[in-house]
Amino acid sequence: MGSPPSFYRITGYWLKPLLILAMLLMVYGLVDGLFFAPPDYQQGDSYRIMFVHVPAAWMSMFIYGIIGVSGIIAFVWRMKVAEAVMMASAPIGALFTALTLLTGMLWGKPMWGTYWDWDARMTSELILLFLYIGVMGIYSAYDDDPRKAARLAALVAIIGLVNLPIIRYSVVWWTSIHQGASISLMGGNSGIKEWSMLRPLLVMALATKFYYLYSMLHRARSYLLRTEQNKSWVIKQVIED
Amino acid sequence: MRFWILLQRDVLVAWRKKSNIYQPLVFQLLIVTMFPLGLGAGAQTLQKIAPAVVWILALISTLITLENIFKDDYEDGSLALYVLSGMSLPLAVLGKAAAHWLTTGLPVILFAPVIAVLLHLPSTAYGVLMLSLLIATPIFSLLGTVGSALIMNIKNGGMLLSVLIMPLLAPVLIFGAGAVLETTLGNNPSGHLSLLAGCFVLSLSLAPLAAAAAIKVNLE
Repeated sequence: MGSPPSFYRITGYWLKPLLILAMLLMVYGLVDGLFFAPPDYQQGDSYRIMFVHVPAAWMSMFIYGIIGVSGIIAFVWRMKVAEAVMMASAPIGALFTALTLLTGMLWGKPMWGTYWDWDARMTSELILLFLYIGVMGIYSAYDDDPRKAARLAALVAIIGLVNLPIIRYSVVWWTSIHQGASISLMGGNSGIKEWSMLRPLLVMALATKFYYLYSMLHRARSYLLRTEQNKSWVIKQVIED
Repeated sequence: MRFWILLQRDVLVAWRKKSNIYQPLVFQLLIVTMFPLGLGAGAQTLQKIAPAVVWILALISTLITLENIFKDDYEDGSLALYVLSGMSLPLAVLGKAAAHWLTTGLPVILFAPVIAVLLHLPSTAYGVLMLSLLIATPIFSLLGTVGSALIMNIKNGGMLLSVLIMPLLAPVLIFGAGAVLETTLGNNPSGHLSLLAGCFVLSLSLAPLAAAAAIKVNLE
C-alpha cells in the first residue's frame, strides 16, 4: 500500500463496493430520516435537515484530522501516497464544511429567525473552511513542482492542526445560541434519546464516511497518475486500460 | 553572536528605507478616516466599535508588511547563505521576527493612542490597549515569518498569506480586542491578557521551527 503502483492497483478493487455501500446507506438514511423518523416535539419537521447537517459537520472535522495526520506522514517520511491522500481529502473536506454551513443557515432561519449568527460553532466552522482553503491555496500556488507543493501544504495542515483546538476554545468565549451536541456518549441531559431519530443519523454518518472513502481514493488515484505521469508503472497502466 | 548581527542588519536595512516604517501608520490613518465617513461622526457609535477597530487596524497594517520578511533575502540569495552558514535556522528566523517587530510592531504600538483618540476610545483603556498590543504584535511578527516563508517565492502571494495567517490570528484578536473591550466596560482584563500571553509563548516556541521548516522545503 505504501508505493503508488500497489496503492493504485489495490484501491482499484475498492471503488465500486464503496460507492454502492455509500449510495445504499444514503438512500436508506435519507428515506428513514425524512419520512419515518418522528417529528421533534419542539422543532416539528424542520429538524430533519439535521440528517444532512450533523453528518456533514462530523465529516468536516474528521477529514481535517485525516489531512493533518497524512500531512505529518507526508512531511516526515515523504510518502507519496500520504501526499495523495492529503491533497485528495482537502476539496472533499472543504465541500463538507461548506455544506455544513449552508444547511446550518437554512436550519437557522426557521429556528432562530436568522440565517447567520456569530456563535461559537458557526464561527469555528467558518474558520475551518479558511484552513481548508489555505491548504489548497498553498498547493495550487506551487503547481510547477507538486512534491514541494505537497510538502508545504502538509506544513500548513500541521500548523492548522496545532491551532485548531486554540481557535476552537478561543471562539467558545461568546455566549452561544447553538443547541448542544446532538449525541452525547456520556448520556447527558440534552441530545437525542429516541432510537428512531438516532438510527437515520448514524446511518447517514456511515454513508458519508463511505462516500468520503470512495471519493478520496478516486481523487488520490488520479493525483498519483498525474504526479507520476513519467514513471513506467503509469505508462504500463495507461496501455493496459 | 550571529543573531544580533542579523538583527542589526535587518533593522538597518529597514531604517534606510523609511517608507517601510511609516507606511503602515499612514495606512492606519487612511482607514480610520473611512469609519466616521461611513458610519456618521457620532462619538457614541465610534466609541462602541473603537476597541475592535483599533485592534483590527493594527492587525491589518502589520499583515500588509509580512510578505516582505523573507522575500528580499530569498531573491538576492542571502537566505541561502543563512542556511549554508550553519547557524541555527530557527534562531535566524527569530532574528528576522525581532527585526520585523522593532520596525513594524513597535511603531504600531506607539501609534495606537493616536488612532484611539480619533475613535473616542475611553482614556481609561489606553494602558490596556498598549499592553495588549505589546503582547500581541510579537505574535504577528512570529506567525508572519511562517506565512512569509511559505509564500516567499510566489508572485503576488499577499492574498494567500492573509488566508494562511488569518485563522491563526483569530484567537489573538479575540483575546486582544476582548481585553480592551472589557476595560471600557469597567471589567478586569487580566484573564484576556493572560491568554494573550499564552498565545505569545506558544508562537515564540513553535513559529520559528515552522518557519525554518518552510524555508528548508522552499530552498530544496
